[in-house]
Amino acid sequence: MKDVIRTHELTKTVRGKTITSNVNLTVKKGETYGLLGPNGAGKTTIMKMLTGLIIPTSGEIMLFGKKLTESAKDGLKRVGSIIEYPVFFEHLTAMENLRIHCEYLGFYDGKAITQALDMVNLQGIDDKKVKDFSLGMKQRLGIVRAMITKPELIVLDEPTNGLDPIGIKDMRELIRMLNKEYGITFLLSSHILGEIEQMADRIGMIQHGKLVNEVALADIQKLRTDYIELVTSNVQKTVYLLEHKLQISNIKIVKDTRIRIYDTARSTSDISKTLISDDIEIEEIQKHTSTLEDYFYHQIQGGDKID
Amino acid sequence: MTKLIELEWRKLEQKKVIGEVIIYWVILMFLPVFFLRVVMADLAFTDFAESYSSAMELMIAIQMGFVLFGASMINHVFIEEYKNKTMSLSFGYPISRKKLVMAKVWFIFLAIFLSTLVSFILSGITTYVFDQFIDVIHGQPTLADIIAFTARSIVHSAVVAVISFVPLFLFGIWKRAVIPTVICSVFLMQFPNFAGMLHITLSVDLLYGVLGLIGLVSVYLSVAKVNQVGDI
Repeated sequence: MKDVIRTHELTKTVRGKTITSNVNLTVKKGETYGLLGPNGAGKTTIMKMLTGLIIPTSGEIMLFGKKLTESAKDGLKRVGSIIEYPVFFEHLTAMENLRIHCEYLGFYDGKAITQALDMVNLQGIDDKKVKDFSLGMKQRLGIVRAMITKPELIVLDEPTNGLDPIGIKDMRELIRMLNKEYGITFLLSSHILGEIEQMADRIGMIQHGKLVNEVALADIQKLRTDYIELVTSNVQKTVYLLEHKLQISNIKIVKDTRIRIYDTARSTSDISKTLISDDIEIEEIQKHTSTLEDYFYHQIQGGDKID
Repeated sequence: MTKLIELEWRKLEQKKVIGEVIIYWVILMFLPVFFLRVVMADLAFTDFAESYSSAMELMIAIQMGFVLFGASMINHVFIEEYKNKTMSLSFGYPISRKKLVMAKVWFIFLAIFLSTLVSFILSGITTYVFDQFIDVIHGQPTLADIIAFTARSIVHSAVVAVISFVPLFLFGIWKRAVIPTVICSVFLMQFPNFAGMLHITLSVDLLYGVLGLIGLVSVYLSVAKVNQVGDI
């Protein structure tokens, strides 16, 4: 697969403060790539650099195989974006805003505007000024603007921010549909893991302005591990019984009273019965499935990379 | 570039700007007669009413009022776009920032140049008409006066437009502050009147030339430095 975006050592410093540092990001054609990280991690800054809104302090951006610079911004013709929140000329109507946008990009197709408005259920708003729009309508109009010129890459910063649950669902479906049916590559960002998990094929984790890891969601699924966690005051005897009586070897003592059993061949009830029969007092026993959240928490805390 | 200039016009709150220009035109239309007839009627040391060629000097000073309109345009075209973040839309297009700034500069230049030129014509006609009824200026305009007035109107409209750019770089693009932009323009507008108090002995024409030059430097810096100071 070709790279739609490739950055090399992308860095942005503002008044001596490093916002992003040496980011090497790759987004492949046709995929939905999610930038995940806490608020203030540098996701928006990366997106702003990729869409020409701010100029990197150092490093380089390759967009569709060509270097993006202030004097060579042609690649942006193939990009649609909403960064932070959709901004419009509020005193103008939706149609006027869209026409101006198209003319800046040298795109003249009146029908495309109407079709795009229909696609996000924004019909019949021709004469309404944008200042009279609700936040949800503005978000949908932003999407229309981002996709109206039939871009190959759409960059969306926190695309579901400020939307109601129905709006969030519609947005997810729209992104999926545009990705699957039209092959549009997406770069999304969010600080909510569940959000990214539902839309992205690959995830880039951003922490303190650095790209901590890039990983395919499918690879993380493979790494998911189940375990049984039990809490008891007699840890030593419990471990002995688990190893010798139940032949469980993959055990980890997490805290003074907490044991994790990664060998899940034995059921929770088997383990309980055995331990109780040997007078072990079990305060708590529960089966866990490690979640994506655990994985990312581990990564953010400095865990190993998936290659 | 023509297309970019046209788009600047389409993005503008046109009714607001047109209303503003009409107010300037109406006020400045009657100002020469008001000055000649009321303000300067008893002043011994000025005699703008002596002839049409003398009255022209007063007209030129009055039309400096359009420098203030320049501040308003800098506000609409630059500062508001930065504050409303619509500037970020422009920067996301495949057009270099320098070209975008240049388009905005040309748009402001044309707006001020044309408005000032129309204002010259309107105030010229109004003064002439009033003069026919209430005898404001001695004598009648000669063909030479009309030609000189036309030529100076064109040149001075361009000078006013260029002077309007003085606050552009510092207050428009860098600081993005409306009030300092307006104060700067008021100061520029009144500067020829203050020059004497500040012991500046340059002729008025040379003074306009110097201010125009500062305006051009401001435009140059705005275009050249937009990548450094023009980030969102």
